[in-house]
Amino acid sequence: MCDTCGCQLHEHHQHDHKVVEVNRSLLEANRKQADSNRHHIEHMGAVAINLISSPGSGKTTLLERTIEALRDTVKIGVIEGDIETERDADRIRAKGVPAVQLTTGGACHLDAPMVHGGLHVLEHFAKGGKYDLIFIENVGNLVCPATFDLGEHQRVVLLSTPEGSDKPAKYPATFKSANLVLLTKTDLLPHFDFSVEEATRESLVLNPELQVMALSATSGEGFDAWIGYLKNLLATASHR
Amino acid sequence: MHELSLAQSLIEQILALAMEHEAGRVNRVVVTLGPFSGVVRDSFEFGFNILKKDHEKVGDAVLELETPDPEYVCLDCKKVAVIPFPKQSERLELARCGLAAKKCPWCGSNRLSPKGGTELILNQLEME
Repeated sequence: MCDTCGCQLHEHHQHDHKVVEVNRSLLEANRKQADSNRHHIEHMGAVAINLISSPGSGKTTLLERTIEALRDTVKIGVIEGDIETERDADRIRAKGVPAVQLTTGGACHLDAPMVHGGLHVLEHFAKGGKYDLIFIENVGNLVCPATFDLGEHQRVVLLSTPEGSDKPAKYPATFKSANLVLLTKTDLLPHFDFSVEEATRESLVLNPELQVMALSATSGEGFDAWIGYLKNLLATASHR
Repeated sequence: MHELSLAQSLIEQILALAMEHEAGRVNRVVVTLGPFSGVVRDSFEFGFNILKKDHEKVGDAVLELETPDPEYVCLDCKKVAVIPFPKQSERLELARCGLAAKKCPWCGSNRLSPKGGTELILNQLEME
């Protein structure tokens, strides 16, 4: 019988409308790939961190200093996301660490399928060896990357002193999704009207479980806490 | 700007479902955009209406977007409050009265933490 008019005639069936309840996330395909990436990363022996911030907040400089601090004891791999150029990957390679550059050609964020490709290249670079820590540096953007799980274990959001301490309140989705917020470039605090207290307080309103740290990759102030956080992450990862 | 990627994945999902249900045309698509999903409603709609033209089966589909009101948990009194986003026209007025900051309707605190609301869900399809 036809659902629309209740008729019994087959000729009437050109108006055979069908309503289907779907109830599925639009991000389902990305989520499946992200889960598979996480599994892949764990198989490589590593813990992965997704670094998100606006352009110019110091993600690459943070990575350079982190590599210098850890490269003797921790095997690091980096996936760099940018709209154009290999510049960031070149900076990381100069520190002696394998880096894959993903250029999105205009897209404003990385998604799980792009990172999947990057993981295979990192694996190739290691020639069968394992990694301890994989950093995925997202495209500089404080909005779009928040929506896409890449398969990371921890999400770290950077906020630099010149950007202003009102950013957590203005970009809530990104800060809420973080595990750790890093307030960077604190060596510039004397020159800017940035309140560490405000940025911390407003981040914690969005997510009371969040960790917040302040550091300067230039002066080294606060850097020990960040290195401690990474070491603790490596020591406590259940799959390692 | 990620609205375009999301609209693209919506269309792929719809095409797969249309094939699964042996439908020749999709007439109506109902999607829920959570208030804290980080998706701009107008951009998403704009992207969908451009991308749908590439596919005969969804070319005339009408997109219905449901946007539930945002919910917050007060970190001081722990109560939950539903506080709709102010309309564009109301924003200026609120700012003029100095009332732009959200307050807990139960205890007056401004420590309101967004509760859920990050969902992006394809709810319903009408096909023939």
